[in-house]
Amino acid sequence: MSFLFGRNKQKSSAELSKLVKESILRLDSAGSQKAEEDLARLLAQIKHILQGTAETESSPEQVYQLITSLIQEDLLLLLAVAIPKLPFETRKDAQVIFSYVFRYKPPNSPMATEPLALNHVINSRPEVIVALCKGYEHRESAMSCGTVLREVLKHDAVAAIILYDEPKSGSLTNVANGANAGKGIAAIQYETPQTGQGIFWRFFDWVEAGGFEISTDAFSTFRDILTKHKPLVSSYLSKNFTLFFGRYNSLVLSNNYVTKRQSIKLLGEILLDRANYQVMTAYVDSADHLKICMNLLRDERKMVAYEGFHVFKVFVANPNKSMAVQQILIKNRNKLLKFLPEFLGDRTDDEQFSDEKAFLIRQIETMPSSPIPPHAPQPATSGGPVSAGTVT
Amino acid sequence: MCIDLESSEDDIQEIQQEIAVLSTCASPFVTQYKASFVRGHKLWIVMEYLGGGSCLDLLKPGPFNETHIAVICRELLLGLDYLHREGKIHRDIKAANVLLSSTGKVKLADFGVAAQLTNIKSQRNTFVGTPFWMAPEVIQQAGYDFKADIWSLGITAMEMINGEPPNASTHPMKVLFLIPKAPAPRLEGSNYSRELKDFVAACLVKDPDRRPSARELLRHKFIRGAGKVEALQELVERRQEWTGGKGGRTSHPRLYEETMNTMSVKEERDEWIFDTIKAPTLAPASKRTQKRRKLSLMEHSTPEEALQQLDINGSPHQQKAPIDPTLQKNSERRRSSAKVASPARRPSGQKQPLVPDMSFGNSGSTVRQFRRVSDNSPNISPESSMAGQDENRPPLAETVTKESLLGRRVYSSIVENTFQEVHSQTSTHAKREALSRVADAWSALDTIDPEGEYQLLKLIIEKVYSDPKLSSLLPSTNQNTPQKPKLVLATNNPHLRSHRRRQSLQVPEEDIWTDNHQMNLPGRLVPGMEHTKLLADVLYSRWAEGLKTRWPVV
Repeated sequence: MSFLFGRNKQKSSAELSKLVKESILRLDSAGSQKAEEDLARLLAQIKHILQGTAETESSPEQVYQLITSLIQEDLLLLLAVAIPKLPFETRKDAQVIFSYVFRYKPPNSPMATEPLALNHVINSRPEVIVALCKGYEHRESAMSCGTVLREVLKHDAVAAIILYDEPKSGSLTNVANGANAGKGIAAIQYETPQTGQGIFWRFFDWVEAGGFEISTDAFSTFRDILTKHKPLVSSYLSKNFTLFFGRYNSLVLSNNYVTKRQSIKLLGEILLDRANYQVMTAYVDSADHLKICMNLLRDERKMVAYEGFHVFKVFVANPNKSMAVQQILIKNRNKLLKFLPEFLGDRTDDEQFSDEKAFLIRQIETMPSSPIPPHAPQPATSGGPVSAGTVT
Repeated sequence: MCIDLESSEDDIQEIQQEIAVLSTCASPFVTQYKASFVRGHKLWIVMEYLGGGSCLDLLKPGPFNETHIAVICRELLLGLDYLHREGKIHRDIKAANVLLSSTGKVKLADFGVAAQLTNIKSQRNTFVGTPFWMAPEVIQQAGYDFKADIWSLGITAMEMINGEPPNASTHPMKVLFLIPKAPAPRLEGSNYSRELKDFVAACLVKDPDRRPSARELLRHKFIRGAGKVEALQELVERRQEWTGGKGGRTSHPRLYEETMNTMSVKEERDEWIFDTIKAPTLAPASKRTQKRRKLSLMEHSTPEEALQQLDINGSPHQQKAPIDPTLQKNSERRRSSAKVASPARRPSGQKQPLVPDMSFGNSGSTVRQFRRVSDNSPNISPESSMAGQDENRPPLAETVTKESLLGRRVYSSIVENTFQEVHSQTSTHAKREALSRVADAWSALDTIDPEGEYQLLKLIIEKVYSDPKLSSLLPSTNQNTPQKPKLVLATNNPHLRSHRRRQSLQVPEEDIWTDNHQMNLPGRLVPGMEHTKLLADVLYSRWAEGLKTRWPVV
């Protein structure tokens, strides 16, 4: 292999990309050992070209050429699919390459433009994003893919691609065939209700199954998808309310402590977000949701109970409680008034918590003895989100 | 290593990031991360086991000689070089975090505070580490990079030759002021070789920019002259002899979660009333039992749980999955050393590397975000316990009668615990085996006939009580068994009592029974003095943490 060393520096970006592509395609075949070694070497080389090393700075021109050739050879998709199969150190290199490539903007391009490769992926190769999500299916690739995903999730188009992904009958063949116009971000049909088969819904499994590191990593990505781009998510949740919360409740009721606690916390965050006002009002109208939530207060694990409290307060603070919700609260008024004052009594240094608790107690005390029909729901007039602070 | 997620206010996300750092390390100079899994609300992190113990332990018989220190420093530099190239800072290098295998391999451990730099050039601004070993720039919070580890290495070298770090007699908080102000510590005098003195001086350069990197230090004369790692076996052996000679070295009090866990003392409570489901009395019986069953499952999350978790072997619900031999060995050995607090029964020369040692040096860690509970728990195979399997286990036989409910309760709250407890105090393998078999058999009984189970226990207790000799004997036998400070079953434990109260209200008929049993439970121990010491340590570190936040930057 000595001839390679001599030519390494001069090897053109196009050549490099081709070699990587060939090695990836050979990964599954008989000579996979050799392919792994080649890939390890090639990817390390690409990483060095992009990042430079401690001694040498990277050359902007070479970087540009390399990235365009990666796009041309459709290497991003191949690499994303291949991540689980890569050896340990090479996987880390691949992660670095993805992170770099997705951040790269050609020199002198306007500030507002999307990074070159990411723009390509968003508009014509959304499969790359989906493939990265599927990294959660393997223990090996979960963390690397997760890191890359959370970086690209800073762009709302990426969140949209994940949220609105639907399985396509021809998607498998597309992987092998090159570009296919008319897909990507432009093809998303925001109005069509979700079937629940797309890649986003797989997260509900990933955040609960597998080891701690995979499920928590998946959860932070899941959280990013649901919290980073508020208008997008808000309309998504409104359109797919029943499907979403049906699935979400199973996370809240999960037997997995970590999933349970994290999902209750995230639920609280989602509901209390001003952007999700409509979602919140729909959520707190449901007696079933209130029941789940009241049972959380009773959970022996105080952190679970504590997170549950932050959801429960939304129900109580809501000025337009539905009949069913009122009924439950009134029926349990005495119990609640007995229960709440001592609820998590050791949180003495948490002033906000004590204030909110006192507020809830007052609200429950002053509830009428029988349910009163709520005003016609007019979310627009009541202003901001209902939270303990704004309603008095 | 175990983290109780319930007791940590921190976001689980932070812990996840730590594990992410751990899991991307693969070097022969760094303890290998194996797996992590959640059981109940405990997170278990499985790390490579190193039988030699930590350098801090190995220092107990006396300081190291320079030959050994050179080898250790070289291995540490190789480890640091790896971490730094990976863009990671360890941030807590000290003898206690350097582990040796029984063959003398040296590995860095405890990434509790390790940080990942996403960009090689970026700097951190957080305040972590252990005062005596902290670099001046870390204390000053002026931003620091991987050079901070080099400083700590220099201090560690001094610790190994002198038996303790510089300023060891000074109060840790004062040390924080001292390090940035005072000139860098030096080794002086004819007791040390010129090479070592120079090496320490090279590490302890106050200006991080002029401090050499790990790679540069590998070329230092002191390091180049270092011998083979096998030489370090002497240290391990020395330590074993020392322990053997001393015989009754008292072990450190074990840190049990419930010693500090402050549970809210809630009043008894009953179920919420939800209109849409029928009132409890009208509910179908099966539904009701299921609920009850669930309640008893939840007991796992009470303070009692810590002990239950500590030894799952006695648990009938144990998943008999194939166990990684290294893991098995790990836990077996660790168990035998960790379990028995009584000096006489403590096998010599066995240490638990990943357990926080509350003795000097470790206790000064100012930032410890989660409480790590000692790992006594054997035979948990990560494959089988992913995602809290024991909670997922299918509901057991559904029963309706009062007696069967009580039986279930007896089992889940008393029998199971007791077995685990006794099991954890039994040291002989054969005896343990026998005990496990009884536990299994009992669990089978619980599954099939909880009612019979209740009757059985009731009869046993009644008979014990009716026999004057036995009933008077019982308490004293208990006191004879070697005990660690055991709060779990202490009936005067307020948590437990409130817990009981809650439970007893749900099934009021059993009151008499519970009371009877309360009188009779083993372990009516008032926590001993070691325990107070522990609390003091904890309080101190709390206080130190508080100070830290209020503190103006030095």
